[in-house]
Amino acid sequence: MKIALFIPCLVNQMFPEVGVATLELLEKLGHEVILPEGQTCCGQPMTNSGCYEDAKKTTLKLLNAFKGVECDAIVCPAASCLVAAKENFHEFDNSPEAQVVIDKLYELTEFLHDVAPIAEFKKPFPHKVSLQMSCHGIRMLSLATPSENMSLQRHNKVEAVLSQIADIEICYPERRDECCGFGGTFAVDEGAVSAKMSKDKAYFHYETGAKYVVGFDPSCLMNIDGMIRRQKLPIETRHIAQVINEAL
Amino acid sequence: MSHTASKIHADKAAIFCKDEDRVNWHSKALWLLREKRDRAASSLPEWEQLRQLGSEIKLHTLTNLAKYLEMFEQNCQANGIQVHWAKDAAEHNEIVHGILSHHQVKKLVKSKSMLTEECHMNPYLEERGIEVIDTDLGERIIQLAGQPPSHIVVPAIHLKKEEVGELFHEKIGTEAGASDPTYLTRAARAHLREQFLSADAAMTGVNMAIAEKGAVVVCTNEGNADMGANLPKVQIHSMGMDKMVPNLDSAAVLLRMLARNATGQPVTTYSSFYRGPKAGGEMHVVIVDNGRSNMLKDKILAESLKCIRCGGCMNTCPVYRRSGGHSYNYTIPGPIGIAVGAQKDDTNSIAWACTLCGSCTQVCPTKVPLDKIIHHHRRLKAEAGNLPYGKRSYMPVVGKVMGSAPMLNTSMAMARTALRILPGSLLKPFAGAWGKYRELPVAPKSSFEAWYKKNRS
Repeated sequence: MKIALFIPCLVNQMFPEVGVATLELLEKLGHEVILPEGQTCCGQPMTNSGCYEDAKKTTLKLLNAFKGVECDAIVCPAASCLVAAKENFHEFDNSPEAQVVIDKLYELTEFLHDVAPIAEFKKPFPHKVSLQMSCHGIRMLSLATPSENMSLQRHNKVEAVLSQIADIEICYPERRDECCGFGGTFAVDEGAVSAKMSKDKAYFHYETGAKYVVGFDPSCLMNIDGMIRRQKLPIETRHIAQVINEAL
Repeated sequence: MSHTASKIHADKAAIFCKDEDRVNWHSKALWLLREKRDRAASSLPEWEQLRQLGSEIKLHTLTNLAKYLEMFEQNCQANGIQVHWAKDAAEHNEIVHGILSHHQVKKLVKSKSMLTEECHMNPYLEERGIEVIDTDLGERIIQLAGQPPSHIVVPAIHLKKEEVGELFHEKIGTEAGASDPTYLTRAARAHLREQFLSADAAMTGVNMAIAEKGAVVVCTNEGNADMGANLPKVQIHSMGMDKMVPNLDSAAVLLRMLARNATGQPVTTYSSFYRGPKAGGEMHVVIVDNGRSNMLKDKILAESLKCIRCGGCMNTCPVYRRSGGHSYNYTIPGPIGIAVGAQKDDTNSIAWACTLCGSCTQVCPTKVPLDKIIHHHRRLKAEAGNLPYGKRSYMPVVGKVMGSAPMLNTSMAMARTALRILPGSLLKPFAGAWGKYRELPVAPKSSFEAWYKKNRS
């Protein structure tokens, strides 16, 4: 398939290794990967604060970067940015061209589970990993059935993709899908509560005895990582793209 | 404004967070309720269908509210119940006071009413010489402590048993240093028994009002509402107009979820249906608007009136569990408190006391889209120019920088360089709350875009 990468600003500026891993793994899977120019923020920091006017120009700039780009799918290695992009594109542009872009948007795990499943992993990943089930991915993108939901039909796309890797041991922290406390500007506006949430989350992951915290949302991982290092806990964060890329 | 006097959520929460042991205990106690809820809900294979049905019942009723309110009033009157309408809190309090003074009531026993908290009725009646006794154990505890409730189902959850022991020793004469819950509960029961027997009138809240029957439903675990309503001659039931349901079948659907989602019980110990005055007595129902019909006009806010007040959203909310109910500048705390109280919040901060994680929406038995409503409140606040935390000044700047690739690239390149070469201690003050509590990210040398240009194009 021909895939256009949607690299959110946080990944572009602070976690290029996540972008590189996403690109490499998609190429290893035989896809043609391109990076449309002119991408910027999805507008989430502004819309989450209620400031839609301030988000408009940014969001439309990102949307325009994808309009008319020839590709089968637009893939993003960040669940919350993907959700925000989808919602904000709808909010600011009702055109058929915008709808074409929206219909092609996929979060990386979602893409690898629903659209183009991985046939085979070549290398083992002999480590215990504690999965970070971030809020937007599971509750808004339905990457997994959230713990509050009592449906008899349950699914977990993150685990389904990772569990195919040889020797990987998957576990979950206590209160498995409780928010890590990042919440965009919440981390700064509500410093004390956010910090306590992050601290609890970091310790719950640490207490599993895992080597890595693995997640699909770079902002949550950045938050947990900042707390892990402050608390000097012997556990590291890894984006799901990095784990998959290593095992391919 | 001094720090301690601040009503802003973040400031009050920061004070609550200073005692980490208490936060841990508070968070754990409420998470225990969430776990009990999970077990109770999962024991019903049809749980998710019930939620859908519950949501549809409430939406249907709200959509046809005028019709059901009229039906309810007519059927109440046919049952010998006197119905009163209050457009706001002041009218509610006047109506209640009118009934009580007509009967020369000196002491009122009260149960299960967040609405009277919303209307600030207790101080209103007390100023007029009427003693008001809250009879739910938790409510009585905080009444004796002179505090508002911190949760709608477990109102004294913020107090430890030792603190209750001390309070009871001082106020109702229990032994000094005694904190055994059974001992304290027995002492409270004896104390409350005296209140019931000497009261002239009783008042309760309403969990559901059944239009087709002209009846109100009151759910308690302690039986105190029934004790109150059955002893004195006069009984008053105050209800928000959103408590309406069409018929017994709809009430049955909601009753199956209410206690399960609140505390994990199959049903409340007492679910009493009141459908007429006792022989020789009087039964009054006061229906209160107090901003509800205004909320109905906004399609998104209207959905918050589907709430049946189980408190499940508070128990699951990671922010509420770590900030305590008193940090919200409104009578009802937590996600539903933000949904129904943000418009009345003069600090404009409670709409931001949320990470938009969505757990509340998923846990809600009537599918109130709480995170969507909270997000909507932020937008309304922003459009009205009422932003907290300096957002009004910095958000336009963020918008401009994010919308311009050169500006974003330049500022982020500077930030990366600063993060790599400056010592963390120098940077932390600039990174605000982030750097105060966490290590700053380890910055890469270049952006992904730069890497891509070098390696792929």
